[in-house]
Amino acid sequence: MHDGSGRIAVQNLTKQFGAVTAVQNLSFTVEPGSVTGFLGPNGAGKTTTLRMLLGLVTPTAGTATINGRPHHQLGNPARVVGAVLENEGFHPKRTARNHLRVYAAAIGVPDQRVDEMLGLVGLSPAADRKAGGFSLGMRQRLALATALLGDPQVLVLDEPSNGLDPEGIAWLRSFLRSFAQQGRTVLVSSHLLSEVEQTIDQVVIVSAGMTRYYGPLDQLRASQRSRVLVQPADANGLVTALQEAGLHQVEPTQDGRVAVSGATVQQIGDIAAKAGIAVYGMQEEKADLEQLFFQLTSPQYGAGATAYPPQQQPYQQQQEWNAPPPGYQQPGQPPQQPYQQTPPPGFQQQPGQQPGQQPGQQQGWGGQQ
Amino acid sequence: MGNLIKAEIRKTLSTKSWWGLMIPAVLFAFLFALGWGAITNDLNDFLGSSDAEELAGLLGVQLGELPVGLLALAHGINIGTMFPVIFGVFALAGEYSKKTITTTFLTAPNRMSALSAKMFTYIGWGVVYGIIIVAFASLATVLTVDSAGLPTAGQWLGVLGAGILATTLATLFGIGVGAVWNSVTGATITLTIWMLVVENVLVFVSFGWFGITWLGGVLPNGTLNGIVGAIGAEAFGAAGVSVPGALDEDLQWLLQYTAGAPGAFSWWAAALIFLAWTMLFFIGGWAANQRRDIT
Ligand SMILES: Nc1ncnc2c1ncn2[C@@H]1O[C@H](COP(=O)(O)OP(=O)(O)OP(=O)(O)O)[C@@H](O)[C@H]1O
Ligand SMILES: [Mg+2]
Repeated sequence: MHDGSGRIAVQNLTKQFGAVTAVQNLSFTVEPGSVTGFLGPNGAGKTTTLRMLLGLVTPTAGTATINGRPHHQLGNPARVVGAVLENEGFHPKRTARNHLRVYAAAIGVPDQRVDEMLGLVGLSPAADRKAGGFSLGMRQRLALATALLGDPQVLVLDEPSNGLDPEGIAWLRSFLRSFAQQGRTVLVSSHLLSEVEQTIDQVVIVSAGMTRYYGPLDQLRASQRSRVLVQPADANGLVTALQEAGLHQVEPTQDGRVAVSGATVQQIGDIAAKAGIAVYGMQEEKADLEQLFFQLTSPQYGAGATAYPPQQQPYQQQQEWNAPPPGYQQPGQPPQQPYQQTPPPGFQQQPGQQPGQQPGQQQGWGGQQ
Repeated sequence: MGNLIKAEIRKTLSTKSWWGLMIPAVLFAFLFALGWGAITNDLNDFLGSSDAEELAGLLGVQLGELPVGLLALAHGINIGTMFPVIFGVFALAGEYSKKTITTTFLTAPNRMSALSAKMFTYIGWGVVYGIIIVAFASLATVLTVDSAGLPTAGQWLGVLGAGILATTLATLFGIGVGAVWNSVTGATITLTIWMLVVENVLVFVSFGWFGITWLGGVLPNGTLNGIVGAIGAEAFGAAGVSVPGALDEDLQWLLQYTAGAPGAFSWWAAALIFLAWTMLFFIGGWAANQRRDIT
């Protein structure tokens, strides 16, 4: 039986579709109590990875486990992991309620859970309509309701905000956060960092089937290269003064300002004052997280094919990451032992945790109830 | 397993295909039995008086007492059995085409149990189809065949049992074919053409040109039809039992054909051979399903 840890572990996972290598030697773990973003551009292998995790696609090599077990050894799997997948299948002629009743029976949860889930995702008014007539957003809601039927410990979502209205997106964000705060695990894929930035605390970035970065989002954020734009009375004088003070990452900008990296506003102000140079303005500029993401993933369509080692060299890809700004990498940490997240006190999964308590159950989604 | 079977029953009951296929099954079974009942009622006309008399003489019965009702029953049931086959195709191939297979696999302990639950559920559906098809074929037989030509109660019970066996195996056969080739349209069209046209042509041609009489006794459609059809053929001494002074081989085949089972050895041999066909596709489909990527 599974270990009940709520941990997702992907190890050296590879999937070949004929000549196409969809996923190449991918490794990461996802810990309970956090929301982990699974990011990468189109065709990066996100969906394939999640489907391997869920036992829908057979890996060519490597393993993907939940609670230490592959999906087909989880017993009653829907009670361990719920999944919202892209183009989730609903029989077009089956009503939303009947769809949920079918799978409630399969999982072995009481039928009353069906109506609870319909209410939770705001589909109660459409419960007896056929799923074939649903909008994209309504289908996503129904998919989420299906995923939650078994009150799972782990939730895996593939681009869940596709088609959702702003209200739905906001609701989903807070839902996933509170779900994780109960000590459960959330893995959510997206091709847009900005879309999930506010939801996730951990991030796995993939591109061309390989891991580019994984660890806490805060660490990624902290490593953003920031610079200060200074508008001095005497630019040349300031540059000299800064260099004498040991700051060498200094360059003039086109509008006559001086861009300084690796120093705080205070430091620069002090140096300017000491040198007797008037400063008319200073502006701190942070690199966009999205830009960073782009940098990490862009080789997919560029030099990717040659820049990365063949798959038989398991960890080398780590060293070959496309020169992320210093501090991004976690040197010496092989993918199998990633950042150890200590769940905040109280988040730990309690052995006797009561099933049936869903986050946000009281306050459903949308005012449609 | 109980949970999964309950889910499968809900699946079938919450869409229209079970009655959408039941209606034509009933209609065809009824109309074919009606038509064959009307034709065979006068076996003299049908077989030609010399053949019929020779037969009656061999069996030691009056010409008018031959249980021709069995022929009507067999033809009605055999055509009706096409529909449980298609219903079976929908069971798994339908889930692939609607992509519900994803959720089905996500909510089952493993693929094997998902497939097993389907098998058990559709055995139940096969029985339901069988009872209803036999009932309507029987109704049409009673309406058209003279009382002297009606089968005995024992024969009728035999037909009921064989009919249920046939529809049940037919359903499982459909699941198996749909599991191997997970396209509803492809599998349905191919099976229909094969069972209604291709195989009949093969059986006819091989008999007419090469004098091969047994081909219908081994092919899928022939054996499926043979389960019920051979009961009629046996009653006419054209299968299973050895008749004193043995029938002319051509007449025997013609009688088997009339009974809807050209080439059938006996009802149980037909059932066993068709079971082998079912197992072949079922095991092939099961193996394909274990590994198939759901993307
Ligand atoms: N069934 C399949 N047969 C062949 N190639 C496939 C199959 N499924 C996926 N691929 C290929 O594998 C690669 C990864 O696809 P995948 O769907 O996993 O990407 P993704 O990261 O989910 O992309 P997106 O953001 O567009 O959803 C792509 O090159 C895709 O064409
Ligand atoms: Mg995808």
